[in-house]
Order: sequence, then C-alpha cells, then structure tokens
Amino acid sequence: MALIVGAALLTGGVILYILLPVIQGRFASLERSEDELTESEAKKRVSLLALRDVEYDFATGKLDERDYKELKGEISREALAALREVEAESERRRGGAAAERAGGIEADIAAVREGLRTGTTCHSCGHMNADGSHFCANCGAQLPAATETPPG
Amino acid sequence: MTVLGELALWIALPVAIWGMVLAFVGGKHGRGDLVLSAERSVYAVFALLVTASAGIVAAFLGNRYEYLYVASYSNRALDTFYKASGLWAGQRGSLLFWVVLLAFFSSVAVFTNRNKNREFMPYVSGVLLTVITFFIIVLLFADVNPFEKLGFTPADGQGLNPQLQNYWMTIHPPTLYLGFTSFTVPFAFAMSALLSGRLDSRWIVVTRRWTLLSWFFLANGIIFGMRWAYQELGWGGYWFWDPVENASLLPLLTATAFLHSVMIQEKRGMLKVWNMALVTLTFSLTIFATFLTRSGLIDSVHSFAQNTKISFIFLGFLATIIGVSTVLIIHRYPQLKSETEIQSFVSRESAFLFNNLMLLAVAFAIMWGILLPLLSEGLTGEAIQVGAPFFNRVNLPIGMVLLALVGIGPVIAWRRASKRNLTKNFTIPLLVGITVVGIFAIRGSRHWMALTTFGISAFVMTVIVVEFFKGTRARARIEGEGIPRAFVHLVARNRRRWGGYIVHVGIVMIFTAFAGAAFNVKVIQTLSPGQSITLASPLGHDYTLTYEGMSSSRGRNMVWQAVALMSIDRDGRRVGSITTEKRLYETWPTPMTEVGIHSTPFEDVYVILANADDLIAGAYENDPAAQRATFEFQINPLVGWIWYGGLVLTFGALIAMWPSQGPLPEVRQTAARREAVPAAVGAD
Repeated sequence: MALIVGAALLTGGVILYILLPVIQGRFASLERSEDELTESEAKKRVSLLALRDVEYDFATGKLDERDYKELKGEISREALAALREVEAESERRRGGAAAERAGGIEADIAAVREGLRTGTTCHSCGHMNADGSHFCANCGAQLPAATETPPG
Repeated sequence: MTVLGELALWIALPVAIWGMVLAFVGGKHGRGDLVLSAERSVYAVFALLVTASAGIVAAFLGNRYEYLYVASYSNRALDTFYKASGLWAGQRGSLLFWVVLLAFFSSVAVFTNRNKNREFMPYVSGVLLTVITFFIIVLLFADVNPFEKLGFTPADGQGLNPQLQNYWMTIHPPTLYLGFTSFTVPFAFAMSALLSGRLDSRWIVVTRRWTLLSWFFLANGIIFGMRWAYQELGWGGYWFWDPVENASLLPLLTATAFLHSVMIQEKRGMLKVWNMALVTLTFSLTIFATFLTRSGLIDSVHSFAQNTKISFIFLGFLATIIGVSTVLIIHRYPQLKSETEIQSFVSRESAFLFNNLMLLAVAFAIMWGILLPLLSEGLTGEAIQVGAPFFNRVNLPIGMVLLALVGIGPVIAWRRASKRNLTKNFTIPLLVGITVVGIFAIRGSRHWMALTTFGISAFVMTVIVVEFFKGTRARARIEGEGIPRAFVHLVARNRRRWGGYIVHVGIVMIFTAFAGAAFNVKVIQTLSPGQSITLASPLGHDYTLTYEGMSSSRGRNMVWQAVALMSIDRDGRRVGSITTEKRLYETWPTPMTEVGIHSTPFEDVYVILANADDLIAGAYENDPAAQRATFEFQINPLVGWIWYGGLVLTFGALIAMWPSQGPLPEVRQTAARREAVPAAVGAD
C-alpha cells in the first residue's frame, strides 16, 4: 500500500512539476541579459588583455623592441576599433530604446483617440473602458452612447 | 525502496523525452514556457535517477540477491563500504551511475545559467536530455537493466572480484566517470552555439571552467587507476597499454588539445571549426570509452556476440553524434571562418597548433592500437595483438616532443617572436637540460630515451621557474609592487595561465617518473626465513631485505591469508619492514597476491610474494622449515613522482578553475607605466 502511495506521489509530483509552466504560462527568459558582454565588448576586453600581455612579453624579454612597438600599435588599433564598435552599439541601443518609448506614446495616443471616437473613453477621467460600456468603470460617469455618430 | 527505484528509472524515460522535445521546440519557436518545462525536466530526471540509484544501493546493502546485478557483485560477507560502491562495480550499475552523474552536471549547468546565457540554454537542455535519454534507453532496453530479477533468490551472492576490493578502485571509476560525463556540458554548449547561430567565442568562455573541470577529473581518474594497478595488480607497473586504459586516455588527449586551441580562438578569432571538431571528437571519445569498457566488446568477440544489442545502440549513437555535428558545422561554415591568420611560424599560436597535432597523433596511434585487433579479428578471424612495444615505439618520441613543447610554448610570444629573443630565452634552460643529460651520461647511464626525457624535463622546469621569476619581476616594476605582492597578483590576475604552468610542472614530474622506469631493478629469489638478499639501487645505495618468516591471519571474507614479513636495511641501517601476502577469498577460486611497498621520495622497494612451498604448513602451522618462498624484488626509481605530480597537477588545475571575482581590471595607460616598461627591459 505504502508502495502504491509512494509511486503515485512520485509520478504525480513529477508530472505536476514539469507541466506547471505550460499550464500557468510561466516563462523562462530566452533573451540575452543586460549585463552580459556583447560580442564587441568581449572583443574589446580581449584586445585590452592582449595589450597587457604584449607589455609583459616585452618586459620579460619575449619580444624585440621593434616587434613590441609594431604589435602594440596593431593591438591598439584593434582595441580602438572594438571600443568604437561598443560605443556605436550602446548608441544604437539608446536610440532604439528612445524610439521604442516614442513608439509607445504614439500608440497610447492613438488608442485614446480611438476610444474617444467609439465612445469607450471616459470624457471626465480619461479611463479606457471595455467595448459596450455605458458607465465608466473608474469614476462612474455616463459614457457617450457608443452608437453616437462620431464628430466630424 | 528498490521497487520505487525501478519505477523511477521507468518514469525518467518519458520525462527526459518530454524535456528533450520541448527544449528544441521551445528554442526554435521562442516559447519560454516550453523551455522552462524542459529545464524542470532536467531537474526531475536527476531526482528520478538518484532515486533509481538509491534503489540499487539499498538492494546491495539489504543483500537482495534476487536481483541479478546484486547477486553478481556482492555477497553477505562483503564489507559494507564495498557493498555501497556496488553501484559502479559492474556494467549494469555503472551505466546507471554514468547517467546519474550526467543528470547531476546537467542540473548544475541549467541552474547556474538560469539567469544568463539564455540564448544557448534551450538547446543546451535539449542536447543534455538527448544524451540522458540515450543512456536510459540503453539501461531499459539493451539487456543491462540493473533491476533485472533472477526469478529465484540465491542464499548468497557471487561476491566482488577481490582485486576490486581496494580503496583506489572505489574512487577510480567515479572520478573517471565525473570526467567523462562533465564533458557533455561543453559539447552541449558547442552544439547550442551551432543551433542558435551565436557563434562568437561566448560558448567557449562559458564552458572554459567546465572543460577544465572535466580534464581535471579525467587526469585524476587515470592517475587513480594507475595507482590501483601499481598497488593491486602485483606486477610492479602502472600502465599496461590495455585497451580499457587506452580508451580512457583518448578523451584526455583530445581535451588537452581543446584546452589549448580554445585560447587561440579567444585571443585571435581563429580555429573555430577546429574547436567545434575537437569538442565533438572529445565528447564522442568519452562515449566510445564508456562503450568499450562497458559493452564487453574488447575482451573477445564472444562478449560482442553475447550482447550485440548494446554495441549496435552505442555505435548508432556515436554515428549520430558525429553525423549531426558534422552537418551542423558545414551548415554554419560561413560564420565559422577565421577572423585573422597566423602571422608568423614562430609564435605561440603555431606552437599551440603543433601541440594539437602531436596530441592528435598520439590519440590516433592509440586508437589504431585499439581498433586493429578488432578489425583484424572481424576480417580475418584472427586478432593481431597490439601490445606495449607498439605503443611505446610510436608514443614515446611524440611524447617527448610534446614535453619539449610544454617548455617552448610559454617562452614564445603571441603573434610573432624573433630569433634573437628565442636564443636569449632558451639559452639557460637548454644549458640546464644538457648539463642534466651530461651528468647522467658521465655517471655511466646509457638509457638514451630516459636521459633525453630527463634533459627535456630539466629544460621545461627551468623555463617555468624563469617564467615565474621574470613575470613577478616585471609586475613588480610595472605596477610598482613588492615582490611577494607582485607574485600573488601575477597568479591571481591570470589564473588560467599560471595555474596552467603549475599543471605543466605536474606533467613534467609524471614524465620524469615514466623515464625513471628505465632504471627499474628486478630480481627473483627463493628465500628461507632468516635469509637476505642485497639489491643495488640505481641511486647508489644498497638495500638488504631479510625474510623474517611467514604468519597467518584471516581477514574478513577470506578462507586463508599468508603474510610474509620482510625487514629492510639501507646501507646497513634498518629503515623499515614490509609485508607481502597471498589471500584466498571465499568467493574467488584462485589465491590473490598483495604486494609490499616501501616508498621513499625517490624510489620504491616493491616485493611480491610469488610462490610459497607449503602455505598451509608454513603459514598456518608456523613451521619455519616449510616457509621457504619465492619473491620478486623490485626497486622502482621515481615512481612516486607520478602521484606527487598528480597532486601538483590538481593544485594547478584548482588555481586555473578558481572563480575570479568579477571582471579583470582594465589596463590603464598611465605615464608611470609608459616609463616603467622600457625601464624594466633596459635593466635586463
């Protein structure tokens, strides 16, 4: 008996545990997180480390002065290019976020306009009510009849 | 508990399949809910497999001999310690143990990446669960279910092979398995990079520590196995070039190649396809090694015929891994092209490439040695035996080149190095190496292979010591720190490099120990109690061993035990005593030998009780006249350095793996630095 109960608990528990996310609609993130290095940041880091290595290689006598200078120039150029790329990327990201914010406001305004047109947006408080509402769910004011012909 | 364990194994299969499918589908269609369910499946499968393993262990501890596996590897008189390790004593249990460890590492990988590297994770879970599913299918459907019942309950089990009743044997397989299974994680990330299309070096950075961890377990697992062979098999050696040993060495070689070549991808953006190929190859070799040791294919064609099912399943899986990875690499080839090219033949990059080729050459030679007997037996019906002479002849020269590269690599700068610098950096180490060879040659040694190895080892050690010294001095000057502080910071700021150098010290010690075997002394002698033998050690002193007599005791699980006592004098001074034994175990038909080892830092005195005239009268009845016995005496120089080298290697690997606190501080170009660097060089 104990065995059957144990088996049932084990099976039930496992099924519940793995099915819950699908049933409840809980998500695992699939996006790159904010604080992760991007490809160009990684490149920047690698070239800065290479710059340090070159310095140590020179200081420990593994590089000739001529090679050291050449390599230093070469890696500095790579580091600079990576640095520019990082800046351009964060610029793009900032620009993108601003555009998104701007886009969001535009969409909000359009929704309010649409509500006013159909009569679901409350004239006294601005709350957007569900279609077919007669009174505002927020302040209780009477809404203009939805069937009313829109002005203009 | 055992029934619940079996049930858990059966439930684990659909859960693993469910998770595998959802992970791939969720990843492809960007469905976070499916991915979360898949990740939970990883944890659930782990819990279920732990329950299954607990079931097996419970069956061992509870003497449940109705289970075939328990009856085959245990008996009532067996020590509880060995009963508990019965989980990995035989094929069936160890396959379950393998997949439990894999599920453990999979859970750790999923858990530690729950908030990062999310682009990779759906496919990582998918690949991990695919491998897990494969092993569960093998367990349940390839006639190797550890829960299989006999249909009757024997009064007692058949017992565990006495040679496996040894401390080292208890930890050797788990350590090796930890190495095999943990390499699945880097492989899963590599496949995930190919599937998700994020092909920069992120997957390498993420799996860097995993690869090191896996390498560390593999290396230690192999060293533990050598230690067991040395102590338990009683022939005085530690490596037999036996197919099972060879199979475990293969992934270590390719993983070593991979550890080095990823640095080139990280630093220079090169060798992307090569790294993908190496990670796939190493993973395939871990599966291959598990397959060879656990399918019974290797012993003879008979065992192959007995269980063809498991062989075909494994070969099919291997073919699938290699096929799918190849297709993925070809599919992504345009994104895997090198960003730069090697600038100079004399550079760290090209030294690493050469090291890779050498490591693969050794791996290929060993693989050939494993496969040739099988292929020839399959084709002609007669197995061509490939033994130690073949492996030694092929691998010793390559091994020496590799050892030399351990010294050459660190001194060559990245990108390009000049002849003048090489001359400058190599002069002192080369002189040290030549001096060492010279000293041995003057003292009359003519083992040229061993002498060359000693010479190269001295060269490499000098390079490493000079590297530490110069690095510390440079840091002290550039950063304006005191020497002790500069040394600590030098290592702490680039743990992988300096930890790696410490690992190299361990490797050099191990190679030196191998070369030491050329000077082994071996004498077989029959002695009566009170008689002695004198052996000349290659280190210049004499050992006198006196046979004191034979006694008897009876250890647990044994019919009888004959113990021969031997006292040891070094140059006339008593330094200790050792015992060597013959034992007859209750469950084993032939007597086993226990060797006696007297270890010193530079050599071991190793005595084997080869034969006794009359064990019963001599040992039991304590009649000195009947105690005449034949012994094999050995002096094995430097053998202990394998174990010391293993410890050094462990220490270095831990430094390299130790998590660093946050990102490295960036290099600031201050005026002080600009002045300090030329000043440091000027002082040379």
